[in-house]
Amino acid sequence: MRDVAVLGVGMHAWGKFPDKSVTELCRDAVSAALADAGVAWRDVEAVAAASSRFSGGKGWGLNGNDVVEDMGSTGIPVYNMSAGCAAGGNAFNVGYALVAGGMHDMVVVVGGEKMPKGFIQTSGVEEETDPEFLRQRCVGMPGPAFWALLCRQRMAEFGTTEEQLAKIAVKAHEVGTHNEYARFRQLFTVEDVLGSALVSDPLRLYEICPVSDGAAAAVICSAEKARQLTTHPVWVAGSAVATARFDDGLPRGLAGTVPTGRAHHSEAALAVGKALDQAGVAPEDLDLVELQDNTVYYELAFPEDWGMCKPGEAEHLLEAGETLPTGRMPINPSGGFLCFGEATTAMGVFQVCELTWQLRGAAGPRQVPDAQVGLAQTLGLGGNGTALVLKR
Amino acid sequence: MTTERVPAVADLFSEAGGVAHLHGSRCATCATPYFPRSGLCHNPDCSESAMEDAEFGPAGTLWSTSVQNYPPPPPARYDEPYEPYAVGVVDLDDGLRVVGRMAVADPTAVRIGTRVQIVVGPIAHEEDGTELVSWMFRPTDEGAD
Repeated sequence: MRDVAVLGVGMHAWGKFPDKSVTELCRDAVSAALADAGVAWRDVEAVAAASSRFSGGKGWGLNGNDVVEDMGSTGIPVYNMSAGCAAGGNAFNVGYALVAGGMHDMVVVVGGEKMPKGFIQTSGVEEETDPEFLRQRCVGMPGPAFWALLCRQRMAEFGTTEEQLAKIAVKAHEVGTHNEYARFRQLFTVEDVLGSALVSDPLRLYEICPVSDGAAAAVICSAEKARQLTTHPVWVAGSAVATARFDDGLPRGLAGTVPTGRAHHSEAALAVGKALDQAGVAPEDLDLVELQDNTVYYELAFPEDWGMCKPGEAEHLLEAGETLPTGRMPINPSGGFLCFGEATTAMGVFQVCELTWQLRGAAGPRQVPDAQVGLAQTLGLGGNGTALVLKR
Repeated sequence: MTTERVPAVADLFSEAGGVAHLHGSRCATCATPYFPRSGLCHNPDCSESAMEDAEFGPAGTLWSTSVQNYPPPPPARYDEPYEPYAVGVVDLDDGLRVVGRMAVADPTAVRIGTRVQIVVGPIAHEEDGTELVSWMFRPTDEGAD
């Protein structure tokens, strides 16, 4: 395997853009990434794109083909990766493998999304053989209810308070307010958050990420190319994809087996574990983490699941300010999904942009001081998990 | 006059004497429970899939609970005007962890760890009054409603 570098990154702002197509959002992101890398579209040898269920892609998730046709059809191979909300992270892993394996020297990874209004239907499949259909028809518990069930279980186990949940949202906006690409940059107090509508008790509107439009892109290349083209590359120290284990205990369909241990997102833990192993980095040595905070609960559960802190310790680290960029376990200095809203398949690439800026020391007021190594993680429907470790 | 009751999805559960059972499968080799029925054992550590029909319930312990505070998107069903309902995850005594609505009057008064029984109750009504029913969890602890 060859060393792989992130040469350039670029984003379109997150928000609602009714007058722009997803391909136009991707055009801005890819153009910015190419300019940041100092290379031309002609230099790109392949595209690894996240497949969208909601926008563009000719209705088949062919979003990478849209990008190539838009930027200029040079005949290069396109890989359209579908992994639910993990598609961006999945596309990065495929792009990484193409360069690390020696197939290509320069690859564009891109994810773009225009989301429909409101809370999304989980699968959209109307068949009685589809577990998601059964779960919604027979019970009626969409994504936020799933998160709320996990959160309530944690509250019963560790005594997590509603104030602590609110503080996570307050912290997200405290850092996200400094991010020009974020959609929700206003500041909130604990009272503001606790005064927002209950979505799924105990989770409130400001504690759950809404959906957004957005696009992000990265130019990745071989070490040889990186040394020719830049003096300050960011290195891909690890990149991994995993799927959920049979025995992880999360109530994903209608039913599973009562687990012997704690229920957790095994797809995320497996991907993170593999990426950290590849990088030779211990979880407690990470300088920052961009994790998938669909809801505040995950900022508590994930660092524990991944060995960054002990079970039940996350609340104390939060209260002590340790999850801020200046703390000892910075989480989501970008502002995370709470400040961006989820442009589902673009999120894995958005995280690559943030890590890259942080490792370059270019993140401005939300900068993690002297950031050397960072982790990014996504997960998606179907039990898809992705993780990557970037180092400077 | 008795109201007609139609299951939200057919063949998933049955009721008798006020309690309900879920219709699933169990692997005779590794004892893994499945709901709904499965044609294959998905346990990667199982040496040989040997699926047999099995009934689960009615007793279990509530692992977690929440309230569906807003009207859920399709294909969920509910009556207008929308009334929030409680959902739960129950660890049945026979080894199945299963999701369902709570059969309670006050959705905010449900306690984690409470003992429950599976019952069948209405999740919505058709225009002609027909009850659309599904399995639900009713607390059985003393003092529960």
